[in-house]
Amino acid sequence: MITTPVKLWRRGKKLVNHIGKTGTLLHWTIVRVPPKHFADQAPYPVGIVKLDDGEMMVGQIVDWSEKDLKSGREVVAVMRRITHEDAENIIPYGIKFKPV
Amino acid sequence: MKISIIGAATTKFGELWNSSPRELAKEAFSSAITQANVDAKKIEALYVGNMLGGLLGHQENIGSFYAEELGLAPVPAFRLEAACASGGVALHNAINSIKAGLYKTVAVLGIEKMTDAGGDLVASALMAAGSDEERGSGITFPGLYALMAQAYMAQYKISEQDLAEVAVKNHYHGSFNHKAQFRFPVTVSDVMKSSRIADPLKLLDCSPVTDGGACLIITSDGALMSKKGVSIVASEVGTDTLALHKRSSFTSLRAAKEAAKRAYAKAGVSAEDIDVAEVHDCFSIAELIALEDLGFSEVGKAAGDVKKGKFTRGKGRTIVNPSGGLKACGHPVGATGIKQAIEIYEQLMGTARDKQSVKNAKIGLAHNVGGSGAIATVHIFRRI
Repeated sequence: MITTPVKLWRRGKKLVNHIGKTGTLLHWTIVRVPPKHFADQAPYPVGIVKLDDGEMMVGQIVDWSEKDLKSGREVVAVMRRITHEDAENIIPYGIKFKPV
Repeated sequence: MKISIIGAATTKFGELWNSSPRELAKEAFSSAITQANVDAKKIEALYVGNMLGGLLGHQENIGSFYAEELGLAPVPAFRLEAACASGGVALHNAINSIKAGLYKTVAVLGIEKMTDAGGDLVASALMAAGSDEERGSGITFPGLYALMAQAYMAQYKISEQDLAEVAVKNHYHGSFNHKAQFRFPVTVSDVMKSSRIADPLKLLDCSPVTDGGACLIITSDGALMSKKGVSIVASEVGTDTLALHKRSSFTSLRAAKEAAKRAYAKAGVSAEDIDVAEVHDCFSIAELIALEDLGFSEVGKAAGDVKKGKFTRGKGRTIVNPSGGLKACGHPVGATGIKQAIEIYEQLMGTARDKQSVKNAKIGLAHNVGGSGAIATVHIFRRI
């Protein structure tokens, strides 16, 4: 993932609106062979989530156990670190989903 | 206007650490132009399908780069980028330029050099074809197709073993192809035991990272065509959202269905008429979805059809992926769409390396997909 401070700042303004929204996990996978910058987090689940307001999102599932990975599981959007800081010392944050 | 293929050649596909992208392009072009039996001066333009030259090779301005290397400069040269459908999109634009009356004879090159870089870098570079939201989730291309597989398996009640049958068929086909990256058969049990990449997809459900080049010479100039040949009778492109999660269906690709619908109409044929097809099996699930989007299988029935041998050489009516597909032949992303067209050309001409693979084929189809289905091309070919 390539980030720049300006891109992160622009994106961040919209992301905060999602914090605390609840939704349902539709489909999930566990990424075991991660892309660059995500190696320290793997393996991690990523799911397609339908928020209660109808919006579809994709995001990592955090604070999970095996039993949470099923279609229909209720989740809540939380703000989490996406990767480590980049060359410009900016830490990218974004939305992930936590089972409730 | 009749547009025919007069030259077609690929390099070997695989981990080609001894070859540079320049050498691969030159090898494919030289073989194609020799086969076409025309002077290189007859080539009026060059179309290049390439995705990762910039991200992995730090080389942009790729039209000129290859026009120079192939000795074609100062003709017009263009690089077309549409992720893994770059080859199909390059061919589409080459055909359009001929139809527009700009040129009569053009070269279409598909080229990719992937194995010079490390796996994590390639995985990140390929995600450039996805949406920024999906990139931020840490998902990979196998991950996106794994989500489709989960959706498909839940909806149509198929198992991981059913998915594995696609890899078994394509490895069997690839075992006959001396240019394929993998020339060995695998069993369902081999697939099941291979390491997990993104559940439910395992290593042997996934196409590999590959180097390779492929080149077509196409023309509308009757004087350059032989009596026996292959015409391109339809070339269509469809698009969809970049992001998988924004689509209304995760078990079919609207871009491919649209392109197929229009291609069948243009060619005046239907799915039942297709003797041989190369489809975009970047992952086992992708071939099941392709078989249904193209109308070769009823919705939800593709896995059963594959298992029954409906698409296997020596057994089926429509032979799918006689080259071994992306799975066994390899997937140098920008070259794949051109390689598919070349495989169909050789099957229709009866010059495929192994004449037994498809008997007496008259009509063929190539289906090339970019991203997780954000773009797709469908080409239909007819023996003349």
